[in-house]
Amino acid sequence: MSNHSTAEGAPPSVAASRGGSGSNSRVRAFFHTFSRQWLAMAAACFILLLFIIAIFGPMMMPYDPQAPDYDALMEGPSRAHWAGTDEYGRDILSRLIEGTRLTLAVSLSAVLIAAVLGTVLGLLSGYYGGWLDRLIMRGSDVLFSFPDLLLAIGIVAILGPGLINVVIAVAVFGTPSFARIIRSVTLSAKETLFVEAARSMGAGNGRIIWRHIFPETVSSIIVNISMRIGGAILAAASLSFLGMGAKTSEPDWGAMLSMGRDYLSIAPHIVYFPGLTIFLAVLAFNLVGDGLRDALDPKIKP
Amino acid sequence: MAQHLLEVQGLKTEFKRGGGRIMAVSGVDFHIKKGEVLGLVGESGCGKSVTSLSIMRLLKDTPGRIAGGSVRFEGTDLTTLGDTEMRRIRGNDMAMIFQEPMTSLNPVLRIGKQLEEPIRIHLGYGRKQAREHAIHMLRLVGIPRAEEVIHDYPHQLSGGMRQRVMIAMAMSCSPKLLIADEPTTALDVTIQAQILDLMKRLKEEQDMGMLLITHDLGVVAELCDRVVVMYAGRVVEEAPVRELFADPQHPYTKGLIQSVPKLRHKVRRLDSIKGNVPDLSQMPAGCKFAPRCQFAMEQCHVQEPELVAVNGRSDRSSRCFLTQEPQVEGGGEG
Amino acid sequence: MNEQPLIEVKNLKKSFEIKKGFLGQKKYLRAVDGISFAIRKGETFSLVGESGCGKSTTGRLVTRLLQPTEGEVWFEGSRISDLPESRMRPLRKHMQMVFQDPYASLNPRMKVKDLVAEPLLIHTKLTPGERDKLAHELLETVGLSSMHAERFPHEFSGGQRQRIGIARALSVRPSLIVADEPVSALDVSIQSQVLNLLQDLQEEYGLTYLFISHDLSVVEHISDRIGVMYLGSLVETADKDTLYDRPLHPYTQALLSSVPIPDPSLKRERIILTGDLPSPVNPPTGCRFHTRCPSCMEVCKTATPVFREVEPGHEVACHLYDEAVMGGK
Repeated sequence: MSNHSTAEGAPPSVAASRGGSGSNSRVRAFFHTFSRQWLAMAAACFILLLFIIAIFGPMMMPYDPQAPDYDALMEGPSRAHWAGTDEYGRDILSRLIEGTRLTLAVSLSAVLIAAVLGTVLGLLSGYYGGWLDRLIMRGSDVLFSFPDLLLAIGIVAILGPGLINVVIAVAVFGTPSFARIIRSVTLSAKETLFVEAARSMGAGNGRIIWRHIFPETVSSIIVNISMRIGGAILAAASLSFLGMGAKTSEPDWGAMLSMGRDYLSIAPHIVYFPGLTIFLAVLAFNLVGDGLRDALDPKIKP
Repeated sequence: MAQHLLEVQGLKTEFKRGGGRIMAVSGVDFHIKKGEVLGLVGESGCGKSVTSLSIMRLLKDTPGRIAGGSVRFEGTDLTTLGDTEMRRIRGNDMAMIFQEPMTSLNPVLRIGKQLEEPIRIHLGYGRKQAREHAIHMLRLVGIPRAEEVIHDYPHQLSGGMRQRVMIAMAMSCSPKLLIADEPTTALDVTIQAQILDLMKRLKEEQDMGMLLITHDLGVVAELCDRVVVMYAGRVVEEAPVRELFADPQHPYTKGLIQSVPKLRHKVRRLDSIKGNVPDLSQMPAGCKFAPRCQFAMEQCHVQEPELVAVNGRSDRSSRCFLTQEPQVEGGGEG
Repeated sequence: MNEQPLIEVKNLKKSFEIKKGFLGQKKYLRAVDGISFAIRKGETFSLVGESGCGKSTTGRLVTRLLQPTEGEVWFEGSRISDLPESRMRPLRKHMQMVFQDPYASLNPRMKVKDLVAEPLLIHTKLTPGERDKLAHELLETVGLSSMHAERFPHEFSGGQRQRIGIARALSVRPSLIVADEPVSALDVSIQSQVLNLLQDLQEEYGLTYLFISHDLSVVEHISDRIGVMYLGSLVETADKDTLYDRPLHPYTQALLSSVPIPDPSLKRERIILTGDLPSPVNPPTGCRFHTRCPSCMEVCKTATPVFREVEPGHEVACHLYDEAVMGGK
C-alpha cells in the first residue's frame, strides 16, 4: 500500500514533549491547576484526614465510644479526654472519630446515588428531548420547589427514622440538581461536530450517549458531587439533630449536637466539638468543590 | 532622503507561554512608503498578526510584549511612546481593521455612535458636525442609505456591510497608514471582491499607505505593491509584487505559490510543501524552514541564513543560502 | 452510457421553522429549495456557493443527517429519503462524511486508533485486534504513522487531524464520501497536501466524492462536475471545463470573476456585484438572483426560472436562456 504525501512534520517526540498521551497530560494539567490553590489543597488534606480516620478509626480511638464512665461526667477538655466527655461520661473525641465513618458513609452514599440517578435522567432528558424531557424536568421542578430540608423531613416522616432512610431522603433531594446539570451538558454536547460525525457514520443512540456524550459530563459530575457532600452532611446532621436519623446512642455528629443541647449552659463543649467538626467538614468539601470546579472547568481545558 | 511612512527595524515580540517565553516575532525589518501597499504574507503561526499588533502597540491585553527593535512612524519610534501619546496616534494617523467584522464592532452601540467616537476624539468635532462626517464616511465606503444605517445596530448589518463600517471608522480621521489584518478572509467571495475594489479606490483617492496582512496570495496580487513573506517569526523574502510571483527566490515562497490552485491554470497534482509549521517553542536549529525544504543543504540545518539583498538590489531580499551562493564566482556579491 | 448514478437527488427541499415573536407567526427558512442533480460512480461532484446557499445543508440531506421536507434522495437505485433511522444506519457504511473543522469533528477524548476504527466497530464484527491492525494500516495510507495510533487528537496539527478524519471515513470502504469544506480551515500549504491525498485515494479506491466548498480554485482542481448554488437553488450545473470556460448564469460569471488570482500580471474585467447576499429568510421574489443581477429583466422579478438543460450535460436556471430556447434554436 503506497504512502500518500507524508506529513511527518511533527515527529512523535515533539508530541510527547507536549505532555505525553492525552489523558496523562490532562490529569497532569489538572493537578497543576488544582495544586495552585492552596486553600483547596489544605481542604483536600483535611478531607484525606477524615477518610483516614474513617478507615482506621477503631485503631485510633483512645476510648470505646459507647463505654460510659460515670466518674467523669461532662468533663471539659483535659489531657485524659482531649474533647471532654458527654453526659454519660463517654469520650467525645472517640465518638467523633466513630461518627466520621458514619457521616462519610451516609453523605457519600446519598450523593453517589443522587449522582447516578441524576446523570441517567439528565442524559436521557437532554438527548431525547420531547415528552421525556418535559416529564423529567417538571418532576425536577417539583422536587426543587421544596426547601431541601423540608423535603428530607417529609421523606423520612413517611419512611420512618433511621440512617438508611436518611440516605434515601438526601439522595432524592439531590437528584434533581444532577439531572439539571447533566441535561444542560448533554444539550451542548449533542450539538458538537464529533457527535454529528458519530451519527453520520451510523452510530446508534446508545453508543453516542455512552461513548461521546457521557464522557463530557464526567467533570461536571465530579464537581457537583464534591459541592453537594457538604450539604448532605449538613442535611444528615440536621435530620439526626431532629431525632429523625440516627438513634441517639449512635455517635452521629448531628445526634451528638442534639443531645448536647440540653447541657449547653453547663457543658458547652459537648455541643462545640461536634458542631466544629461538622463545620470544618462541610467547609472542607465546599472548598475542594470550588477548587475542582476551577481546575476542571471545560472552558479552560485544552 | 525622505523618511519612510513606517519603518520597522529588528522588531522582536515575545509571549509568555506555560512557564517560559517564546519569540513570536524574531527580528523583523520592513518599511512602507507613503501611499504604498505592503503585503505581509504568511500562514498561521508566522507572526504576521503579532507584528501588526506590535506596531499598533495593542499587546497590553495579551501575554505578549515587545522585546526589542524599533517601529518608526514618520520618524517617531512608537515603542518609546506612552499610552496617552499612542492613543493620539491610533485611530487618527494610524488605523487598523480586523478580520472578524462580527466581533470588532460593539454590539450594543449604534453604528453612528461608534463612528462618531474617533471623529470627536481626534478631530474635535461637535455632535452635529461629527454626525455629518460619519454619514459622509459611510457614503464613501459605499453603504447605501447611510442616513438610516447610522441608526442601526451591528447585528442588523451583513458581514460585508460591517466590514465597510469598520473601514469607514478607520478612515474617518484620514489616517496616513491603514493596517488591515485579513480584512476579507471572513467574507464571501463576491463581497470580498467589493471590499477589495473599495480598498483599491481608497488607496488611490486618499494616497494612504497600507499594511495588508493576509495568507491569500490572490488578494496580495490584487492589491499590493510590495510583499514581505514571513515564516516562523522571520522575514524570509521581500520583493515587488510582480517579481515575487514571477521569480520567487525563497523556497518557501516558491512552495506557497505552487501549492495554491490557480483558477484556469490546470495541473494534475498540486505541488505541496511537506511537513508542518514548527511549534514556536521547538524551533529547529539553523534555517527554520530547512526541515520542509526540498532544496535543503547540510549548511541549512546548522546555520541560520541572514536576510540578504538579492542581486544587490535594495528592494529584493531573501533569507536563503541558495540565493547567496554566487559568492563562488569571483567579484560577485550575494 | 446509461449507468445508474450512485446518488440521485430529485427536487430536494429543506425548510427550517423560525418562530417569530409573541404572535407566533411562523416563518420558514428555505435552506434548500428544490434542487436536482445526479452523481455518477467514481466522479467528483462539487457543490459550490457562498454562505447561505444551502450547500452544506444539501450534503447533510444526502447522508440523511437531516430529513428532507420534500423531494427524494436515491442511493444506488433505492430511495433513502424516507427510510426510518434504523434502516438508514446500516446504509451509512456506504456513505461517510469528512467535516470542515478538523478540531471539532474528532472526539478529543478518544485515541486516534479508536477514532479511525469507530466505523468498523459499528458496522463490522471484527475483533479489537483486527480493528487495531486496520487502523494502523489506514493511518499509513493517509500519510501518518502507525505510531500515531495511541495518541490523542490535540497532539496533532489541523492538517494531520483532517487526515485522521479521512482515514476514519475510509475505514469501511464506503462508495460515497461527502466532504464538507474539508480544506477550508487549513493553511494554504497544507490544503494542497490534503487535496492531493483525496485525489490519490479516489484513484486507488474508486471513491465517489460529493465535494462541498466555497473556493472556486480548489473546486476547479478537484472536480469532474460542478453545481453552483445560490440561496437554496441550483443555478447552474456542468462539467468542469464547460463551467469555467463558458459559464452561462450571470451569478456563475460574477463568482468566477470575483476570485482573486495570484498573478499580478493578469488584468481582468471584473464583474463586481452590487448589494449584499439577501437573507435566506426573506428571499427575493422570482429569480432569487435578480436583485444583484447585471442582466436582470422584467420577467426575472416575478417568475422563477426553470432549471433545464441547454446543452448536453449543462443545465441552467435563467430567463436569459429561456428566450434563446424559445426564440427558436
